[in-house]
Amino acid sequence: MTPGDRHKEEAPPGRLFWPAAAVGWVVMTIGAWGLVSDPHKTRPAESIRFVVGAAIVHDLLLAPAVILAGWGLAKIVPERARGPVQAALIVSGMVALFSVPFVRGYGRVSTNPSILPRNYGGGLAVILAAVWVIAAAAIARRCWRSRA
Amino acid sequence: MPRPPVTSETFASPLHDRRAAAWLGLSLGIAFTTCFLTGLLSHLIQYPPGWFAWPARPAGLYRITQGLHVATGIAAVPLLLAKLWVVYPSFWSWPPLRTVTHAVERISLVPLVGGSLFTLFSGVANIARWYPWHFNFPATHYWVAWITIGGLVAHIGAKLPVSAEVIRRRRPADAPADVEHAGLSRRGLLGAAFAASGLLTLVTLGQTLRPLDRLGFLAPRRPKNGPQGLPVNKTATGAKVVDAANDPEFRLTVKGRGVTRPLSLTLADLRAMPQHEAVLPIACVEGWSSTATWSGVRVRDLLELAGAKKGSTVRVESLQPRGAYRASTLNEHHAADVDTLLALDLFGEPLHIDHGFPVRLIGPNRPGVLQTKWVTRLVVK
Repeated sequence: MTPGDRHKEEAPPGRLFWPAAAVGWVVMTIGAWGLVSDPHKTRPAESIRFVVGAAIVHDLLLAPAVILAGWGLAKIVPERARGPVQAALIVSGMVALFSVPFVRGYGRVSTNPSILPRNYGGGLAVILAAVWVIAAAAIARRCWRSRA
Repeated sequence: MPRPPVTSETFASPLHDRRAAAWLGLSLGIAFTTCFLTGLLSHLIQYPPGWFAWPARPAGLYRITQGLHVATGIAAVPLLLAKLWVVYPSFWSWPPLRTVTHAVERISLVPLVGGSLFTLFSGVANIARWYPWHFNFPATHYWVAWITIGGLVAHIGAKLPVSAEVIRRRRPADAPADVEHAGLSRRGLLGAAFAASGLLTLVTLGQTLRPLDRLGFLAPRRPKNGPQGLPVNKTATGAKVVDAANDPEFRLTVKGRGVTRPLSLTLADLRAMPQHEAVLPIACVEGWSSTATWSGVRVRDLLELAGAKKGSTVRVESLQPRGAYRASTLNEHHAADVDTLLALDLFGEPLHIDHGFPVRLIGPNRPGVLQTKWVTRLVVK
C-alpha cells in the first residue's frame, strides 16, 4: 500500500460504528465513575494525570524521537544492512525499555532477596548480544548473496 | 486555518500503513481482551459479589489465569508500541476533525491510547515492585482497564470495516505487493514487533514456568528463590509481626456466630491434631508462581471441632496489625476442601517466619494475597 493510500477520504462509518461507540462510552463511563468514586485509593487527580500524561509523553516525545532516529538512521546505514539494523534496533529498543525498572532495581528491598533476584543488567546484555548476532548474520548473508 | 508545518503527510515511511495497523490491531485486540477478562476474574475472586463463588478446583486454575494475565500484558508492550508508531501520522491528520464520526472516533482515542499505555506501564512497574506514584495500584489499574476496554470497543467499531477488508484481501488489487524500498519491509516490521513480543515472553515466563527459569533474564522472580526455596512477597519484618509470631503465648482461636464450641489452641495443640499434606502452588497476582509441599491441619477439621455447620464461610485473620491483606475469606468451597490447610510445615520443616510461622493459610486455586500468613484467628460466619 502506498503512503498516499492512507490519506484517501475515509469510507463511510460501518454499521457497527454507532452501536460500538455507544457501548464503548458506557463502558468508559463505568471506568471513570469507578475511578472517581474511590478517591482515597485511586487519587483521581494523580491517576488521570498519569493516563493523559502517558499519551502525551508517547505522542510528543517518544514517537517523535523514534521517528527522528529512524530518519537519521536511513541516511547513515548502507542499504544492504538497513533492514536487519532497523529490525534489531526495534527489538533492542523495546526490550531495553521494558527492562528499565528491572535493571535499575527500583523495587529492590534489602530485607527480601526474593524480589528482583537476578542480575538484570547482565541479562539485558545477553539478550541484546543475541539480537545483534542474529542481525550481523543476516547482514553477512545479504552481502554474500549479492556477491554470489 | 493555516496548515501546520507537520501533518500526516510529513511522515514518508511506507511502513505507516493500514495492513500493518490491521494485523497489530487484531493482535492487540486479542491481547487486551485476554488481559481484561483474566484481570476481571482476579478482581472478582478478591472482591467477590454475592452471586460469585470461586471454586476450589482445579487447584492450579488461578495460577494459569493470572500467569496468562501478566504474560499477555508483557507480550502486548512491543505490539502496542509498534501499533502506535504505525498509526502515528494520523495523530497529525489535517484538518484535525473532519466529520462528526471522525470527531467521535478521535476523541475515543484519548482514553484508549492513554489507558493502554497506563495499564501496561503500571502493570510492568507493579511486577517490578516499583511504585512511582501515590495511588493504590490494584484499584487504579482495575478502573483504568475499564476505561481502556471501553475505548477499545469504540475503536473496533470504527476500524472493523477497513481492517477486516485489509486482512481478508491478502493483497490489495490497487497497491504494490510490498513496499519497494531499501529498508525494512512491512513483513519485516511486523516480524520485528512480534519477535520482540515473543522474546519478552521467553525471558519472563520462567517466573511461573520452571523449565524456562534458566532463560528468565528479565523475570521478576525465580520460582525457587527465597527462604525454604520459595519466593516471598511480604516479609515478617515488613508486616511488623516478628514479635507476635515468636510469642510463646501464641494462640489460634476459632470463634464467631457460626461456632458452638469456640477454640483456643497452642502450637502444640495444632501439632497434636491429625496432620495432612498438600502439594499446592503459591500463585501471586503479580504472575509468578511456585509449587510447594505443605502440611498442617485441615481447616474443615477445625471447623468440625468447633461445631461449625457445613457450608460455613470463614474469615481468616493475621497477626499483622494492618494492611489490605491482613485477612481473607474462605467461601464454602474453599473452607470445605480437603487441601485447605492451616499449614505448619513447608517441605517437611517448620515454616520460615517470612512464609507465615507459626501458622499460615494455604488452599487450592487462590491468589497468593489470599493465602493469609501468621494466622491467629478464624471467625466462622
